Parts: sequence; C-alpha cells; structure tokens
Amino acid sequence: MITASTDELHAYLADLIETVERYGATVLPPNDAYEVYLGRDGTDLVVDLATRLPTGPRSRPVDLVLRERWRPIETGRMALAEYGYELRDHQLDYRRALHRHDVEHFVRSFDVAVHEHCEATMGHETCAHYAGEPVAGAIDGFFRLYREWLAGARPDCSALRCLG
Amino acid sequence: MEKLYYTPREVAHALAISDDAVLDLIHRGDLPALRISPRIIRIPIAAFELWRAGFVPRRRRVSIHAADHGAEIGVGERLPEEAPALRR
Repeated sequence: MITASTDELHAYLADLIETVERYGATVLPPNDAYEVYLGRDGTDLVVDLATRLPTGPRSRPVDLVLRERWRPIETGRMALAEYGYELRDHQLDYRRALHRHDVEHFVRSFDVAVHEHCEATMGHETCAHYAGEPVAGAIDGFFRLYREWLAGARPDCSALRCLG
Repeated sequence: MEKLYYTPREVAHALAISDDAVLDLIHRGDLPALRISPRIIRIPIAAFELWRAGFVPRRRRVSIHAADHGAEIGVGERLPEEAPALRR
C-alpha cells in the first residue's frame, strides 16, 4: 500500500509537475499556474493533472493525464486508493491506460486489483481489460506511458494478457 | 515519422563529449533519459533540448482546494459483469 501524509502529498504533486516539465510535457490548465491544487472530495484528496507531450507543430496532440484518489487511513496519512493514468495519442490514434478502481469488483471477477487498457486504434477495444502490474504512483505512471509514446508506434495489445 | 529520441551516442556527438560522459550525466540524474531495457537508454529530444537550454522547472506552490469534480477514474468504463450499484 502506498501511503503519504498530507504534507508529503503537497511535495509529491510539486515533484510530479517538475518531472513532467523536465521531460518536455506541457501542464495544461488549471495546473499550469504557479499555485496548483490537490482537490478535496469529501475526505479524499485527488490529483488531476492533464499534460500534453511534446510533438511537432504539425502533429496531432498526445495527451497524458494522471489522476489519483488518496483516501485517509489513519490520522494524518492517506493511501493511494485509485488511479487512472491515460495516454491518448491522437497522432498515431491509440490509447493506453493503467487503472486501479472498483477494486472489490475486479478482485471478485478476476482476482486482480489493477488492470490496463490498450486500444491499438483509439475507440476499438479487442479486450475490455488487460492484466497489468501495479503502478507506484503518478511519476511511475508517467514514465511507463511516456516510454510507450517514445516508442513511436502503436502498442501491440496482443502481447498483453486479456482478463475479459 | 517524427524522431522522438536520441541515443546516448547521438547526444555525445551533439555535445562533443564522450559516450561515458553522457552516461555519467544520466546516472547523476542531470540529463533526462529513460531506460528502455538493461542495455538501452533513450534521451527524449524535447527533454534534451530543454536541458541544453538550461531550463529548470519552476517549483509549484501546492494547496488544497475543493475539487471541481472528483478524480473521474474509470467512469464510463464497462466493468466485467456490470454491477451498477458498485459505481460511484
């Protein structure tokens, strides 16, 4: 379980933005300003960071969005309860995503807590959910998807294990 | 196809330094790079150009604010054996 104090989450979001900008990604509004926010949703804190990867002027955009939900587990600490890291390459027209949500449901159905999505052509699923490795937070998620984008080709979804 | 990355050797050539010096910059965490496999390292061109220009990201000030909307993770996704009661 990945946990952090609220203060650590402040630093985590600042670190995340520094990292994505160092790798040439553009942070999109509203987090493009000097002051950025962790969202409060009830007792949860949410990270919602939309970025655009660096492409040529004639290329269609490549969007990489990092979303997380942190839930309190004990006084002063939060646990990473859900995440959704999404890469949508509108130039090559594919989608990759790394997800953790509806955990009870996925454990009951597939005995896994996390899953992935892979659309070699965006909008066309050959499998609704693929097996995936847990992601160690938004920076890890960013690098995994950035690495896929850097390959410069549509993903080979057939190399993944379909859960159903 | 747009070229997206350099190899360490290409960066060494661009900077007129040795391959080892490039790897040293990477291992020190100075030059942005990604390890693709134990033997393959790639340097994103966009990150390299920013680094060469001396770009240093501005450290953001973070505060907590009511979320405009919850982090919508998996919303609209078709779950196995769809169980609407489980959806938020």
